[in-house]
Amino acid sequence: MRGSHHVVVQNRRVRFEFSVRRNVTIVRGDSATGKTTLMSLIEAYDRLGDASGVEVVCDRRCVAINNANWEAVLAGASSCIVFLDEDVSAAKTPEFARRVRESDNYYVIITREDLPNLPYSVDEIYGIHTSGKYADLRRTYNSFYRIYEPDEPREMGPVETVITEDSNSGHQFVKAVCAADINVTSAYGKSNVRKLLSKHKGQRVLVIADGAAFGPEMGDVHLFAKAHPEVGVYLPESFEWVILDSGVIDGNRIKDILDHTEDFVESGEFFSWERFFTHLLVQETKDTYLRYTKAELNSAYLNGRVLESVLAAMGQVGSLLLRQGEAATERDGPRDRAETSGDASKSGDKE
Amino acid sequence: MLSIVFGDVENAVYHPPTYFDNTYLDEWITDPRTREMIRDVDKSEVVSARAIDSPFLGSISVRELSGGVKTLILMLFDDSGRIFNASSCGDNCAKWICRIAREKDLTINLHHVMDFSSCDGFEAYMINTGRTVKSFEEYLDEALSIEER
Repeated sequence: MRGSHHVVVQNRRVRFEFSVRRNVTIVRGDSATGKTTLMSLIEAYDRLGDASGVEVVCDRRCVAINNANWEAVLAGASSCIVFLDEDVSAAKTPEFARRVRESDNYYVIITREDLPNLPYSVDEIYGIHTSGKYADLRRTYNSFYRIYEPDEPREMGPVETVITEDSNSGHQFVKAVCAADINVTSAYGKSNVRKLLSKHKGQRVLVIADGAAFGPEMGDVHLFAKAHPEVGVYLPESFEWVILDSGVIDGNRIKDILDHTEDFVESGEFFSWERFFTHLLVQETKDTYLRYTKAELNSAYLNGRVLESVLAAMGQVGSLLLRQGEAATERDGPRDRAETSGDASKSGDKE
Repeated sequence: MLSIVFGDVENAVYHPPTYFDNTYLDEWITDPRTREMIRDVDKSEVVSARAIDSPFLGSISVRELSGGVKTLILMLFDDSGRIFNASSCGDNCAKWICRIAREKDLTINLHHVMDFSSCDGFEAYMINTGRTVKSFEEYLDEALSIEER
């Protein structure tokens, strides 16, 4: 399944209206915001159709699953929007994650749990808020809002430590760009980021991770950053997305894909958009001087216009890293960026 | 005193709202503390032991209270010895958990790191690590080090 799908669910008392555009959407937030009410309306309509008194308007079938029937329902569900309430403990199992990966459904999961087996996006974690009462004063209107707004980290002073989620090309790029006195360290897996944050408590830390799949870690990292204002978090979709967004590959066609990614990602083929962007970048650069591999950074990304474009695409974070790098060069003399990056995957990090 | 255990544990109720629907007593609903919790969290008024006035849903039954408030009521009144999953509660329930834990020894189960930053003088015993934390910051450090969820 691909594309963005608008859903309206209502009865005489309440109306919910929202869109889903990736394979996994998470709904959480305060108690008493209507999550269970939404779920009970979907469940009633799924069971009884129009005779439930509930109206569901969507171009895809909306189905509700529970602990007892989820395997049977998913076996017969295709191109559906599947809803789960927080009592479905199966949602955190590897088996459920496998079924999500192999299916072409979209899933709307009501939960406060991290669900580490599902690589969902930080942009698809929502709360529900009441928008008010409009045309019909007897009906309350509810919509989704993003819990973690995808803005850049607040203005930071000089960074002491950069934590990246793995040691792949993105890490190698950051390590090559950063001044030698910045500790660039890999968490070797996104689930280790929170432990590294605790380890570097008190330092000015910048976390750089792939937002397209960082959802399971976001609750912890957000809480930590809230309690420690010296911590900044930068979550582009992925490093590959940054390169694609920088304009170094092609003009309008790539831009169109990035502007409407949901129309290009087949959910049954790509478990997360992170994998789609990697696939796209590898395909677009093969047989060119910018040939991209995830495991080892092509040194062409560390030179001249390409380097400048990628840093510019990183916005405020790119400027910050560049500023610190230039200050260090002025102080200590130039470094060979290609050499700095090339051995990252072999020799490990500074720690 | 509040005790917190992360992850799957014996004697825990994973989905307290369902347990509540099948075990609650009328007198729990009309207790002044329950009325206050329902007013604060659900923005609703207890009319009687069997009727609640919700500004969003109209006149509703006790079964239509939020999952968070049902879990709080269980924490306050249930004496079965069961441990309730506080991940059924939003952060707007955190202060009530702390308030109940000031009245009685309360053990809660968590499957995510709950935000207790709104609770003044937060203190809890962390069962997974055997350590007592005396502030939200200490709790956060301890909770982030725990693998079980």
